[in-house]
Amino acid sequence: MPQTTIYASPRSVGAPELLPPAVTTHELARLFSGNAALAGVTLSVEAGRCVALLGPNGAGKTTLLRILSTAIRPSYGTASVDGIGVTEAPDLVRRRVAYLGHASGLYDDLTGRENLGFAAAMLGMPPSTAGQRVTDLMEQVGLSPFGDQRVHGFSAGMRRRLALARVLLARPSVVLLDEPFAALDEEGIRFVEGLLRSWRRTGVTTLVASHASERLMGLADAAVHLANGLVAAAGGSGITAVVDRPAGGADREPGQVPAGPLGVGA
Amino acid sequence: MSDVRREITIAWAIARKDLLAELRGRHTAVSTLTFAALVLLLFGFALGPDAHRLADAAPGLLWLALVFAGLLAVARFHQIETEDGALEQLALYPVDRRAIYAGKALVGAIAMVILGILVIPAVALMYAVNIGPAWAVLVLTVVLGAIGFAAAGTFYAGVTVRMRAREVMLPLLVLPIIAPLLLAAVKATTAALTGDPFGELPAWLQLLAAFDVVMVIAGAGTYGYLLEDG
Repeated sequence: MPQTTIYASPRSVGAPELLPPAVTTHELARLFSGNAALAGVTLSVEAGRCVALLGPNGAGKTTLLRILSTAIRPSYGTASVDGIGVTEAPDLVRRRVAYLGHASGLYDDLTGRENLGFAAAMLGMPPSTAGQRVTDLMEQVGLSPFGDQRVHGFSAGMRRRLALARVLLARPSVVLLDEPFAALDEEGIRFVEGLLRSWRRTGVTTLVASHASERLMGLADAAVHLANGLVAAAGGSGITAVVDRPAGGADREPGQVPAGPLGVGA
Repeated sequence: MSDVRREITIAWAIARKDLLAELRGRHTAVSTLTFAALVLLLFGFALGPDAHRLADAAPGLLWLALVFAGLLAVARFHQIETEDGALEQLALYPVDRRAIYAGKALVGAIAMVILGILVIPAVALMYAVNIGPAWAVLVLTVVLGAIGFAAAGTFYAGVTVRMRAREVMLPLLVLPIIAPLLLAAVKATTAALTGDPFGELPAWLQLLAAFDVVMVIAGAGTYGYLLEDG
């Protein structure tokens, strides 16, 4: 049986007022072809916090973010954003969440401005305001000179910036970023760091999955270390997590679902 | 904005985006037109130089060319979404899934109608068919056929878009389903070209319209599930 301990961290010692959770998961698990990419994660993140999701490849970081974004459904357990279940009302969750995964989700044959214009239309922005907003965002991400060029010719870093502009366009209350520093140069990395600070200041909840843990030092309020689809460690402020370590301290085999919480696995 | 108006706006945004991408890349136009021309040419060779035989076969060949080329078009309009993970992003927008389906079906139907308008004169030239008096009815038949084909093709393009063998699976799934559409379209085209001596044209057009309604309702109602990744 895995040893399970509760890790709770209020905002600060002596000031235990907890903001309502923006993100909660309970025994969240996802199986792919019988293998558990996520094996029972219980986590709660206060609104307005920036949380770093750390861990090796295959730890479950991307799967967790994709479930919270409603891109995939959990196999077991529950997850909610701003109190809304991701499986119960995915449309409402989508109005609150912006997700940027490994791929940028852009259309090569459209220009940068057209890509953002399309996103604005899909987000229900009226054309009268969308045009100016797109112009402002292109400037904000440093792509104004390239706004009328086809994305096909963009570098990986430029694509990433444009995808970040799309995230900003949505004005989400929860932002989910998967390896946001990937393919970015130093200037781009500083831009993402600035965005994370800005979101933190303005009360936007941010979950950032990254291997670049040193980049997130000082930016994140808390860190959650995932391993083999479980929370192996958690620390910082504004989160509550159930830390799950296999009995005897031995690492669980990758993909093995824990007995108990899910009622399956060994 | 009312829900219906918002869905129409979303559907048009998707169709406009795909048309814009097509105008830039011309991937679909080049492949579908070339393929349709090849189908017409090769079947022409296979049937031989007999003018009457070619004219008799013209309606069937017109629709075979349209259907085969149309398969390429609906597949391409979904393939756009698989490049750079755009399909997942599309599914994450807070929009009604029926609007996404409507947008994709709309662009497929527009492509098919344009294709039909270009292929009909080609058929007339290659198979020595006089389409003059039947032009309007032929266009109506193409429009009705395009709607039904795009409705079915878009649904199955959604089914196959994540498959590795999607190029093979799409025709295998679509062609049996559109058999009634193909039959009605060929019969309506034949009736239009021959002056409708038995007065059967309205019945075939009604069958096409009924097929369209059933396919659009079925596609719109089920397409959303295809966007779910598990």
